Amino acid sequence: MNTDNTKAQMRKGILEYCILAVLSRNSCYAIDVINELRKAQVIVVEGTLYPLLTRQKNAGLLSYRWEESPQGPPRKYYELTEIGKIYLNDLDKVWEDLVESVNQIRGK
Amino acid sequence: MHGINLFIYLCNVILICINRYLIEKTMKLTVNINLGGYAFNVDEDAYERLRQYLKTIEKEFSGETSSAEIISDIEGRVAELFKMRLNTYKQVINMKDIEEVMDTLGSPELISGSEPAGSEPRTASSSRRIYRDPDGRIFGGVCSGLAAYLNMDALVMRIIFAILILAGGFGILIYLLLWIVLPEARTTAQKLEMRGDPVNIENIKESVKREFDTVKKKMNL
Repeated sequence: MNTDNTKAQMRKGILEYCILAVLSRNSCYAIDVINELRKAQVIVVEGTLYPLLTRQKNAGLLSYRWEESPQGPPRKYYELTEIGKIYLNDLDKVWEDLVESVNQIRGK
Repeated sequence: MHGINLFIYLCNVILICINRYLIEKTMKLTVNINLGGYAFNVDEDAYERLRQYLKTIEKEFSGETSSAEIISDIEGRVAELFKMRLNTYKQVINMKDIEEVMDTLGSPELISGSEPAGSEPRTASSSRRIYRDPDGRIFGGVCSGLAAYLNMDALVMRIIFAILILAGGFGILIYLLLWIVLPEARTTAQKLEMRGDPVNIENIKESVKREFDTVKKKMNL
């Protein structure tokens, strides 16, 4: 068995949740989100983020505004919508339940 | 008299070679591209690499409704990364920049999530297809491509075709037909498919590296 694969799958599973959690604090440019996720070692390459952000935006969880950038083209700043906040609350609960479940099983 | 002529001829050939070498060493053609609304000058080889990369990404998202938006986001980021690398003393994007940008953004498979990071190679796409091989070609790459598909030496295939041609002239017709019918293996994924290797990140990386090395060798000639 390859633990790398399991690890990658686990990280992938929580990636969407982590993106929403980062954006719940304040609106961010994609690179700010990346840096945050990279610090927590949830993500390795930044390209992974763009399709996820677009999908979450299309699902109504995020909205964005354009902002001028000192470097190159204007940047998209994303933030949570009301729906996104409710969704994130749900996910928070799911995550806590998961942690509890896993702890309970490991505790035996 | 004959000897002197030959000598002068050889000297000329050598001079032309040196000339070519110097020109290739010092001057490189650049391509002007528009990325995210900004114009960039990119070395020809680097441009080809970037084009391939963006095209593969596009293909990865071809089934998605918001693919245009995702790709324009990625292109915007590439433009931003390019801008950061340019200054008054460096006005052209080269191969090294492209490699670094691709490292930052990640492989097309990772971006689209079709290949979870660090997973086992996918086996679904290990099917073989016949292509013309542009790298090993003499005319159209038909023999080379067929040989890769059948896992045999291209020389054997060429001898078979030569015999067919000599035997009755049928060979030429078959060759031309195949030339028209078979698609050329352009992308790395197609080249892997041609050889029957599974299309996954590791193989693509290796194959791209190999291609890059041959290009480098050619440039240093």
